[in-house]
Amino acid sequence: MEILALAAVALLLLQPFLAGRLTNPALQAGATIFVSIVIQALPFLVLGVVLSAAIAAFVPDSFWQKALPKRPGLAVPVAGCAGAVLPGCECASVPVSGSLMSRGVAPAAALAFLLSAPAINPIVVISTFVAFPGEPMMAVARFGASLVTAVIVGWIWLKWGRGEWLRVPSRRHIEGQARWQTFAAAATHDLLHAGGFLVVGGIAAAILNVAVPQQWLQTLAEHPALAILGLALLAVLLSICSEADAFVAASLTQFSLTARLAFLVVGPMVDLKLISLQAGTFGKSFMYRFAPTTFVVAVLMATLFGWWLL
Amino acid sequence: MLLLLGILLLRLTLGGSYVYYVKASMKPFLLLTAAVLLALAVWSLWQSWRRTEEHDDGHGHDGVPRVAWLMVLPVMVVFLVSPRPLGAFTAARQLATAPVVAEPAELLPLPAGDPVDVPIADYITRAVWGQGQTLEGREVRLTGFVTPDPEGGWWVTRLGLACCAADALSFRARVLDAEDLPANSWVEVTGRWVPGDSGDPAIPLIEADDVERVPEPRNPYE
Repeated sequence: MEILALAAVALLLLQPFLAGRLTNPALQAGATIFVSIVIQALPFLVLGVVLSAAIAAFVPDSFWQKALPKRPGLAVPVAGCAGAVLPGCECASVPVSGSLMSRGVAPAAALAFLLSAPAINPIVVISTFVAFPGEPMMAVARFGASLVTAVIVGWIWLKWGRGEWLRVPSRRHIEGQARWQTFAAAATHDLLHAGGFLVVGGIAAAILNVAVPQQWLQTLAEHPALAILGLALLAVLLSICSEADAFVAASLTQFSLTARLAFLVVGPMVDLKLISLQAGTFGKSFMYRFAPTTFVVAVLMATLFGWWLL
Repeated sequence: MLLLLGILLLRLTLGGSYVYYVKASMKPFLLLTAAVLLALAVWSLWQSWRRTEEHDDGHGHDGVPRVAWLMVLPVMVVFLVSPRPLGAFTAARQLATAPVVAEPAELLPLPAGDPVDVPIADYITRAVWGQGQTLEGREVRLTGFVTPDPEGGWWVTRLGLACCAADALSFRARVLDAEDLPANSWVEVTGRWVPGDSGDPAIPLIEADDVERVPEPRNPYE
């Protein structure tokens, strides 16, 4: 920490000297993309954090026992569908689902919500519809494939997942404290953690955004199977907000519709900034297992729905 | 930490340079976010001040987690590199992928007056989907930056954002009959639509009557 502070002071002193030299176009573009990812994601992250703090402070535990079916196997699809009402992107859903878990919601159900919320909410469905004007089935296929993926991954976690892999965010419920006090403490705590991890993900995504040669995409597009896998990977690397990714997918015209569907299904569920946020919220051993599983299921479902509907 | 980030957000938003990074319509959300950040920052400062007064109760405060210090980075980057809006570098990288503009339901005629200002994305729509019918016989003015073609000539270019700069798409029109200009210079191209394409059916042509260099617009994206 002290080293970082020293480095900061040194950099500030060197600023007039450095600013003139940092003009490499790739570096400039990378810096712009990095800052823009952070600035774009912050409002949604704050929304998620505030919402999850509100859940922690103002919603009694008994509410969740009533709202969700007792059997976790049933709670998973219900929670998956509930994702349709959180109008945010993926950054918002991580703190919210963490807070759901710490309030006694079954982890599998909270995870289904985590995956489905950024992919099937009304804003995302409408923007997909707008981005693919000639292909109304695209929005339908995205909705279906994302919801089914979320539920399947939830069930996988229910059957094979082990409690010790997952670090449920500790429950901050200090008795005798004012509710607003709890609220502000929870929000500050979550924001400090999630904000740092957002920065890590943003850097990684910005570097790859500038460094992936476009020729690779051209080569990939020519093989149907590789194209699906390739765009799914690209979605992970680019870390575009789920409310905007449909427009990017629409522009990747050399790829098949199914490959672009894979891009849209994978992107909101697994990407660099999300992996970083999840590792920060639920722990590394969770992330190592969860992200690859989700990726595989999402690609399979996208292929299936693409073959069926598109 | 949150204070720093909140101030950065506030400065970018009020100073107007937030449009380099995100869509202009994000402004109210950014301000709201900055307000929440600042409120939380003031609250935690006040808390820690009160705790020092009370000589600490020994629990309930864990300080700032290490990873939170990473939030200094965006602030540093803005200050040090002062990133410019994306330009020709990004546009040139997209040359392989022809960006499509969605097919419109119907094309309305251009507003009256010659020359008429047309956004480049709109120009592409009219030229590619409307076969140039709404452009025929009209004098149009396109505003954008120069992306040089390695094989000679250049495109007048504008980047479009759906959400933030990470999803920028490039809209281009090939400029005919114009002398070469350095990359990233902002220009107003006044000219006429001509049929045909320069190898890519999604990139229309414009026959330039006049190319004027202009200062960068306040919002560099379309």
